[in-house]
Amino acid sequence: MAEELLEFNITKKYSGFNLSCEALFYSGVTGIFGPSGSGKTTLLNCISGFDIPDKGFVSLSGVPMYSYKEGLNIPPEKRNFGYVAQDTPLFPHLSVLDNILFGYKLTDSGSRRIDPKNLIDLFNLASLTSRSSKNLSGGERQRVALARALATSPRLLLLDEPFSSIDVGMRGVTIRYLKSVWRELRTPMVLVSHSISEVLSLAEDVLILRDGKKVLHASATNAFAHPSAGRISQLQSFENIIDGKIVEDDRMEKIGLSQIQAGSARILVPKLPGVVVGKTITISIRARDIILALDNPTRISAQNIISGLVQEVNYVGCRIFVYIDIGIRLTAEITQNGLEELELKQGMKIFMIIKSSSILILDSGD
Amino acid sequence: MEISLIILTLKVAAVATVINLPLALIVGWILVKTNTRYRFFLDVLISFPLALPPVTVGFLLLLVLGRTGPVGFLLYKFLSVDIVFTWFAAALASAVVSFPLISRAIVVAMGEVDERVEKTARSLGAGPWRVIFTITIPLAYKGILAGTLLGFVRSISEFGATIAVAGNIPGKTQTLSLAIYSNLQTGNEQIALYLAGISVVLAVSTLVIHNWLVGTAGRRIIGG
Repeated sequence: MAEELLEFNITKKYSGFNLSCEALFYSGVTGIFGPSGSGKTTLLNCISGFDIPDKGFVSLSGVPMYSYKEGLNIPPEKRNFGYVAQDTPLFPHLSVLDNILFGYKLTDSGSRRIDPKNLIDLFNLASLTSRSSKNLSGGERQRVALARALATSPRLLLLDEPFSSIDVGMRGVTIRYLKSVWRELRTPMVLVSHSISEVLSLAEDVLILRDGKKVLHASATNAFAHPSAGRISQLQSFENIIDGKIVEDDRMEKIGLSQIQAGSARILVPKLPGVVVGKTITISIRARDIILALDNPTRISAQNIISGLVQEVNYVGCRIFVYIDIGIRLTAEITQNGLEELELKQGMKIFMIIKSSSILILDSGD
Repeated sequence: MEISLIILTLKVAAVATVINLPLALIVGWILVKTNTRYRFFLDVLISFPLALPPVTVGFLLLLVLGRTGPVGFLLYKFLSVDIVFTWFAAALASAVVSFPLISRAIVVAMGEVDERVEKTARSLGAGPWRVIFTITIPLAYKGILAGTLLGFVRSISEFGATIAVAGNIPGKTQTLSLAIYSNLQTGNEQIALYLAGISVVLAVSTLVIHNWLVGTAGRRIIGG
């Protein structure tokens, strides 16, 4: 059982907008998902202390941060939360290293759990430390911002749409970095995003917000399968965001493809210039780009025919998602007719047909 | 004679600037970073000396600081100090007249500092004071310095307010501008011209530094 981390009950009124939400987050990665204007950022600001709620309380590991009843409001600088938003600026008058050390120097030596040296290694910043922070690429800026926030050894890292301002090619890299934050530094995170695919690629728990109200708070898998999530994400195409390691295959070089190992499957993806065998990359496969077949198709132009086992068939609103186990889980979206045709059952062997050209590489290849 | 004249002028201007800078930083911070409801009032107040004839400023200061004025009365009664007709009165007069130049430049410079940068610093554990000294002022320093120089150069050239509250006492309160005036009055045009030359050099060199600072500050804002 994960430990209780963040508990809040927040009411905040704006002109024409009302945020009212209570929840208990456990240690780990929690996603806050909702359409724009649902109150995600306001909620995050109330948690971090940059906004003062009208009523309610916020407490971290049982320690009150804000309490309307007791008239308590700990200022943001004393809450020890890391905060990185899509447009979090670096300090332009400081070098990359001084940016990273800014908060570290303000942290009591007794509370320093995370060594900036580890962060510089973890985020691959060694070659940048002496540079001015002014002329960095979007991805580099974000890595510095993350390292800077983590150097304060925060009790919780708050991330507000961390993928919005970076190139598609950098999304995969950022996702992998954030995964390592939890895996290696054990820093719990709250991730705000309007993209259910991004939330599901990282979070174990999801809080769904709409019109300032909590619609659902559940585990990531259950939240996705819930009708309310479906209604909110109705217009979004769901993406499978997965990691894979490039495996050796010289033959593939010539036809402009790379082969990656993801779970137990080998997937052919568009060739990324400059990547080497053994490197991990992140790819995105849209659920609706996966065709399901009961028999192994032959004489077909699609490059990927991947077999797997049907795990579950899920109705999300009027959409149907099939979860398929290939060592990792892939989600395919099919129609009602398709479902009836295939008569899918749990544990059934199935073939997925995926055109390599429909696979998006979320790495720019550095 | 010229050397002591220049030293006195620079001393008066420097003291005026030293008085103004912290005040202007505080006023600038209040105007830019807080939501005070006195904003309108404060905004008018800091520009007020700019709209008044300097001699009026000097006259008002004389009324306040003179032995019968509210401040001068108290100073004389408890400390036996007389401020009017001293070099310090000249510094005060210069300070009041040049305050709008410093404070308005600081308001602009602080307003250009990205609030998100300051918010980020707070999320990293910096309290409001530390944010001011490690983020706001370092990022606004060129504008602050430019405004300070402009105020300084205005203090050097101060005339009307100074003559009203500090008089024109050679060796005591007579600054460069006042000396030029006296020499013109007594027909020493050669000396007046010579002193005028010195004041031109002082003004031009300060303005060159000022414009260089403003120029690089402007490029920084456009560039990034």
